[in-house]
Amino acid sequence: MPIPPYVFHARRLDNGLLVIASPDHAAPSVAVNLWYDVGSRHEQPGRTGFAHLFEHVMFQGSRNVESGQHIGLLQAAGASVNATTWFDRTNYFETLPTGGLDLALWLEADRLGTLLDALTLESLDNQREVVKEEKRQRYDNVPYGDAMQRLIELTFPADHPYGHTVIGSMDDLNAATLDDVRTFFTSHYRPNNAVLSIVGDCTVDTAFGKAETYFGSLAGGPLPAPPPVDPLPPMAGLPQQETTADVPADAVYCTWRLPTLGTADFDAVDLGMTVLGHGQTSRLHRRLVRRDELAEAASASTMGLIGGTSMGYAYARARDGIEIGQVNDVLLDELQQIVTDGVSEVELRRAKAQFERHWLHDLARIDSRADAFGEYATLHGDPALVNQRLQQIDAITVEDVAAALRTQLDPAARSTLIYRKESS
Amino acid sequence: MSVTTTPPPIAPPPPWSFPPVERHTLSNGIELHAYDLPGQHIVAAHLVLEVPLSAEPREREGVATITTRCLDEGTRSHAGEEFAELLETEGAGFGVEIGLSGLQAVLDVPVRRLDRAFELFAEAVTEPALADDDIDRHVQLRLAEIEQGRANSASRASTEFRRATYAGDSRASRMNGGEPETVAAVTANDAAAFHATGYGPAGTSLVVAGDLTGIDVVALAERTFGGWHNERQQQFQSSPVGPAPRTTILVDRPGAVQADLRLGGFAVDRTDPRWADLTVAGYAMGGAFLSRLNKVLREERGYTYGVRLGFSPLRQGGSYAVQGSFRTEVLADAVREARELLDVRNRPFDAAEVADAVAYYVGTSPLRFATADGVAAQAAVQIMAGLTPDYLDQSLADLQGVTAESATAAYASLVDPMSASLVVVGAGDQLAEPLRALGYDDLVVIDS
Repeated sequence: MPIPPYVFHARRLDNGLLVIASPDHAAPSVAVNLWYDVGSRHEQPGRTGFAHLFEHVMFQGSRNVESGQHIGLLQAAGASVNATTWFDRTNYFETLPTGGLDLALWLEADRLGTLLDALTLESLDNQREVVKEEKRQRYDNVPYGDAMQRLIELTFPADHPYGHTVIGSMDDLNAATLDDVRTFFTSHYRPNNAVLSIVGDCTVDTAFGKAETYFGSLAGGPLPAPPPVDPLPPMAGLPQQETTADVPADAVYCTWRLPTLGTADFDAVDLGMTVLGHGQTSRLHRRLVRRDELAEAASASTMGLIGGTSMGYAYARARDGIEIGQVNDVLLDELQQIVTDGVSEVELRRAKAQFERHWLHDLARIDSRADAFGEYATLHGDPALVNQRLQQIDAITVEDVAAALRTQLDPAARSTLIYRKESS
Repeated sequence: MSVTTTPPPIAPPPPWSFPPVERHTLSNGIELHAYDLPGQHIVAAHLVLEVPLSAEPREREGVATITTRCLDEGTRSHAGEEFAELLETEGAGFGVEIGLSGLQAVLDVPVRRLDRAFELFAEAVTEPALADDDIDRHVQLRLAEIEQGRANSASRASTEFRRATYAGDSRASRMNGGEPETVAAVTANDAAAFHATGYGPAGTSLVVAGDLTGIDVVALAERTFGGWHNERQQQFQSSPVGPAPRTTILVDRPGAVQADLRLGGFAVDRTDPRWADLTVAGYAMGGAFLSRLNKVLREERGYTYGVRLGFSPLRQGGSYAVQGSFRTEVLADAVREARELLDVRNRPFDAAEVADAVAYYVGTSPLRFATADGVAAQAAVQIMAGLTPDYLDQSLADLQGVTAESATAAYASLVDPMSASLVVVGAGDQLAEPLRALGYDDLVVIDS
């Protein structure tokens, strides 16, 4: 029983804003979702963390909206509201009863059109402090919280668009001026750099009509040159970092540079990484956690990125009393086996079945479906891919996966990060 | 229509109800709750065992968690890794949830793979192998998990807070997964005994939600679960939970850049007549983005990434807490200011705050319960809390009756900021003195 496609319509307004409308009348709710084609990879040297800080500023008011009222008004209309920033993009979204659609669009358009009218040093300073607290809470005050930063720095050159984390450097955030914020806004926050998805209890005509009403008068403008997307060569020289930290157990991470997101090669290596390290039947869990009982956790995953080079990683945390070097050796042994022998038919079938469940689960909600349309339109230039993903994944063969693992997951092209427990 | 300088009006939401349930009692007594949700291609199924954690032997607490986590580590029909392989090949996700008032096994699977996955689901629940090696390994993994939790400031704060909130003789005062001493004592025999007496069809419910078009879910449930019998199964009652004496505690984490705060105490459950009032009050004080607490401590002061207050119900009794992470230098000031904000005697809730809270809960419900997993999870929660299937509709209707006066009165009857228990996890050398200066003379400082 094939799953029917999610029907959608796309239209570009004169100012360049791409609008996607996808009706679903199962519940009286509508999802409004904006993807802006700006993330940490677009940041300038010395201004890291800026895309994310700016995301916070977007909630500090605009010409007709007081600070904090963006969320305040929407929650009072029964909305779930948030925004996130990533290496490749920034998204803003709210899902609410259909009768609040005008409010949501008006608020999004007001800040896209007039944010700078309300920008003050006070609000910038306040959000600078909030972002620092976010960094402390999510990264600085948790065990292994700096792992992502270390892995990024091991895998990408410092001056590469992916060479710094999304949260960025606190020194750079401290240095941010109002002029920097203005420049960032006028460079990236243009209707022609955004995708607006309206999914839910709303007809196509209504969605397009309201998008035109609220966003139609906003001016498009020139966009900065996109960051370079030349793929990096595989890592050489086995870069390694060791750190001693206040962590409860020793841990080892390995990373690789992988093909860019949106390619068959990436999908193939992603399925291979699922076999290697996702779930209870994955090779790393079976060997390290279950059979040899050397690790309390072991996994592998990919972080897909659109700018030429993605990242993949494998990870294990040592059981108490087990030397991390031994864990690392066994991890490498499993790695060598999968690179040499590839994956079995049944393993690949299992990986595809898990992909299918996660994919359908994501699309089951109007908010994550709107986000998927925004993602495929922004990063891959085609929202129709949302309805083709399962076929794309299904077409990948064991030979494809074997070839991808052989070329992409070469143990000689990895980096290694080791955490050692203090006083152990 | 032209773009205005004021927010466009909001059309009121149409009436909405929690999806209707079809109930059926299987031949062995299991209560089937089926929710047909067209368009939901992933079916969610919860097997709900009304076995409270107080059923665990005191000296083996954690055995419910270890047993339940081992359900998919092999069955009598499919030993060891083979079982999980079969399940994952069907594209199924299997999980467990351990709650104070009940245990759940959860299956997520695409509709077209439902039949085979359900057979395996039933196998895991009714005939798990619970092999020695698997139990021993899960004991070790649970002990490692406890260490990870202790090293995490926020999770440490929550663990200490439940100790500070619930009476020491109640199961609720200790971690659901068990404390190190009792977990370490759990053996395969203990797990087998727990399964033999705790798991069975009596008092058990099976919730199934998803697009059930063309599926005879009663026949499926009967075929897979209907033959399950267990003469040794015992029935357990949730034991009542009482409050702990007021506690003020500082867990010292030298050098921590942030401090985790819990400020609160014992409260009530969903069956309390004040529940709707408390839902509204909690949202206005610490649930909304522009709640009284978050507006000041985040949006004005920049002290935190976010602070919230919530009421957390158990089956009987419950708790409330202010929770957030604050940088060390401002923690004491945040506590002082939070206590002032929490006091509603001179600043009662107003009609606008009540209206916003009601609109929020009414407006977000259709989305929260638009998916199979959202509906199934809520139905399971209701079963474990002893509530009826119309609970959600009834609770939304109750919200409409809340007034500013009733919300204020209910809140003030439970929240007394000056006598609330305090748990702080952070840098002791910088925090102890400022906290004592706030009146916490009896502050106890313990090592992390």
